[in-house]
Amino acid sequence: MSDPTASFEQTAHALYHDHHRWLQNWLYRRIGCPHQAADLTQDTFVRVLGARDLGRLDEPRAFLTTLAQRVLFSFWRRRNLENAWLEALAQQPENHAPSAEDYALVREAIETLDRLLGGLPLRARKAFLMNRLEEMTHAEIARALGVSVATVERDVKRAFTHCYLACLDAMPQGAVNSLTAPRP
Amino acid sequence: MNASASRPLDPVAERAIDWLVRLGSGNATAGDRTAFDAWLAADPRHQHAWRTISGLLDQPIAALKEAETRLPGQRRAARLALTAPERRKALRNSAAALLLLGLGGYALDRQQSLTALTADLRTTTGERREVRLADGSTLVLNARSAVDIEFSAQTRLLRLREGEILIHTAPDPARPLIVHTAHGQARALGTRFAVRRQDGHSELAVLEHRVQLTAVNGAQRTFDAGMSARFGPAGIEPLSDPAAARAAWADGQLDVRDRPLGEVIDALRPYKRGYLRVSPQAAGLRVFGVFPLDDPDAALLSLAETQPIAIRRYGPLLTLVEHRSENE
Repeated sequence: MSDPTASFEQTAHALYHDHHRWLQNWLYRRIGCPHQAADLTQDTFVRVLGARDLGRLDEPRAFLTTLAQRVLFSFWRRRNLENAWLEALAQQPENHAPSAEDYALVREAIETLDRLLGGLPLRARKAFLMNRLEEMTHAEIARALGVSVATVERDVKRAFTHCYLACLDAMPQGAVNSLTAPRP
Repeated sequence: MNASASRPLDPVAERAIDWLVRLGSGNATAGDRTAFDAWLAADPRHQHAWRTISGLLDQPIAALKEAETRLPGQRRAARLALTAPERRKALRNSAAALLLLGLGGYALDRQQSLTALTADLRTTTGERREVRLADGSTLVLNARSAVDIEFSAQTRLLRLREGEILIHTAPDPARPLIVHTAHGQARALGTRFAVRRQDGHSELAVLEHRVQLTAVNGAQRTFDAGMSARFGPAGIEPLSDPAAARAAWADGQLDVRDRPLGEVIDALRPYKRGYLRVSPQAAGLRVFGVFPLDDPDAALLSLAETQPIAIRRYGPLLTLVEHRSENE
């Protein structure tokens, strides 16, 4: 590990070999499920491989826990989202459950929307989803939320702008300019 | 992503967004439509911006609409999930939990001492917690329970917000200990007892000595050790099952004697991540037995061995319990 001439692959391999059990146990203590702890351990090592430079790791476990905390955070976020969805579903009068395919489809769609709408104020989120997802008119949304139609219009526009800028942030630099540049 | 809000938008993109908002408002006119067509035709950059921006959310929204055709309510459930204030709060809590990671694993099932006179205690899925209060009383919280503690010079008040607690009171003749729920209050007369809060009512189980119960409708009655009762807007109704069985959760057990399966599932829910749903046909089956709360999957498995039920799982978070006849 402390060998300065070790290659990236060697360092990553040593890190896995020396610490993956310890990390899995660390994650297990936090989430209490051995299967999920194993999955999250793998996710953490995927992030290790994504690191540009491992350099000399004097504190390999501190490095691993930093990455694992990020993995855990997105795990909690996904789980909270999924729980909120299942709770909403459970409150519906129909006593059905989605098929396994729909379950995966819907879960992924909700996660994508959550990423795009992340950071947007709650009322704008609501107005936007009522409009685009549930196909309610601005007037209907204004009534449901107890605000003016002009406010709904502003919220929907704000949400579109937010999603658009979020996508630009996620795109590589070259793609951003190409959006409004004249094409050959 | 937060930085994006302040970033200036290029004029073509902004115009495309204005069109999207207008055309999706529900009161776009034929004139708007014509003007939009003209704008779109005027410049290839307009078409490009329009396609890009209108396509941003196509995929997730189409997926949800498609699911909606097979199972109505999907779109609404998705919207509620994405705008649930509890979720945002839970997210903050998990962020706070990350900061306290060092403590996380050890808080479980260990007694903690609480010296503060007021506190809000909460347990999550699968977590039971025992707390020693400032007066020496011992409080056990069942999983997914919440209680606010308000000790003053006159009273020792525990407000049960959610779930179930078992309390072993320390004597203090000057300050009565009262457990308060939305459905009434239980006043300890030197004792050990459990209170469970449900949707429309609460339940009391007296393990030692006596408890004086007052329901929200004003009905009042005293219960002795071994007795249990339900209280709420409809008054007080004594229950037939033994109090000890009702408090077995504090030892990690679910002890049921001739109870409907629906109630057994209700008791397992706080110990199982995700959602556990029982069909109305299965919910009515009568159950006897002792089940491990800390291993809800094992409890379900042993129920399936003795009951005509089928257990179906969808991913790690959704489990359905159905009567076998429903699957034929």
